[in-house]
Amino acid sequence: MNSPVQIWRQHKILHQYLNKIGRLIVWTKIFVAPVGFEHQTPYLVGIVQLDKERMPLQIVDTEEEKLKINQKVKIVIRKIGKAKSEDVIEYGLKVKPA
Amino acid sequence: MKIKVAGTGLTKFGEAWDKSLLDLAQEASLEAINDSGLRINQIDAVFVANMLHGKLSNQDHLGALVTSSLDIKNASFRIEGACASGGLAVHLAIQSLLAGSYQNVLVLGVEKMTDVSISEITSALMGAGSDMERRAGLTFPGLYALMAKAHMAKFGTTRNHLAAVSVKNHYHASLNDKAQFPFEISMEKVLQSPVISTPFTLFDASPITDGAGAVVLSSDLSSRRMSGSINNVFITGSAVATDTVGLAERKSLVEISATGEAGTKALKQAGIDLKDIKVAEVHDCFTIAEILAMEDLGFCPKGEGGEFVQKGHTRLGGKLPVNTSGGLKACGHPVGATGIKQIVEVTHQLQQKAGKRQVNGANIGLTHNVGGSGATVVVHILQT
Repeated sequence: MNSPVQIWRQHKILHQYLNKIGRLIVWTKIFVAPVGFEHQTPYLVGIVQLDKERMPLQIVDTEEEKLKINQKVKIVIRKIGKAKSEDVIEYGLKVKPA
Repeated sequence: MKIKVAGTGLTKFGEAWDKSLLDLAQEASLEAINDSGLRINQIDAVFVANMLHGKLSNQDHLGALVTSSLDIKNASFRIEGACASGGLAVHLAIQSLLAGSYQNVLVLGVEKMTDVSISEITSALMGAGSDMERRAGLTFPGLYALMAKAHMAKFGTTRNHLAAVSVKNHYHASLNDKAQFPFEISMEKVLQSPVISTPFTLFDASPITDGAGAVVLSSDLSSRRMSGSINNVFITGSAVATDTVGLAERKSLVEISATGEAGTKALKQAGIDLKDIKVAEVHDCFTIAEILAMEDLGFCPKGEGGEFVQKGHTRLGGKLPVNTSGGLKACGHPVGATGIKQIVEVTHQLQQKAGKRQVNGANIGLTHNVGGSGATVVVHILQT
């Protein structure tokens, strides 16, 4: 379900996280995806430690073989999943190597 | 606390393309009611555990849907707690009996999962995760893979330790004709099957399953024994604990702390020690989950779960046979039904009617049912 109002609510807080640096605690490479993510497989998702919280985030612009535990990553804004032709395109947080 | 398991029913687990949700529900329910020797009009209330049917088929309102198919006019409830729905429903049913509101209740768990595509079921199951996990494209194999990788990094748990869970549970399922995969597999087969989420291959994961399980529970402890069984079986402990829905928000990625809390409470309620447990059905939705369950319930020290399984302690014939049904991995995992199937399996073990997979001398058993990546845990203790 792609609800414009839910996406709008979520978008209001994204700017607080932009460019923040965190550390990658653990990750996995996903080969079987949920609806809307099938075109990205395989893709990387990790748990990132920020100052005061931990978040599950997709990891972009790198390869699994290059990842190291505790490596620095930076939060970026990217398109989330694949919107259907009449849906709102959703943007959200991901990380890339810092 | 003492509640009698008065009857059990279980459908074959697997891909039941010719059967609807209601067909499965009726089959398991009628079997359990017949087994109890009670008449349908003696069932005072029905508790229906189900996670996905509203999402997958647009049919909600399962409480009344099930009772009307059984020609019952009494109270009926649908209970949802992700993959712990079954255990939660048993817990709630017990509370209603202890409160004295009802004397005999039917608890049914049912799920119909194979009607939709793999990406649709993967998405539907992610309803048990957090919003942020869905935005990250996470899946349940992905969430448990993160826990597995954290466990491997911290304790040196290996791919072979994980695979040993799958091999053991397939062996147990080979002795269970209700199992979805009633055959053995080799370590090589697990390791060489396609990767679904590193470090997991397909054979680290429980399958997509249709199935139903039912139990009749009663506060009338005096009534007759079930047919063909030499013992009456009672539930003497029932506890639920919860934690954050999102995995990243938890204190630790290498333990499911709600398991420890629910386990301790249930044992205390039953007034027994962990070492008294002779047989257990634990929530092995992924291989790492059974390793975590062994550690977090306290059957082995933290970090040694992989070794504990690989040494054969939890195989039939070992000191604590675990998942004699084949577990979620090989018996199958119709999510709403799983918690009920665990109760059915342990009841049969305690009645000494588990056939080829009977654990000799089983008189006290434990069930452990997890929702999501560990946000809801239900533990039950059963005794003769």
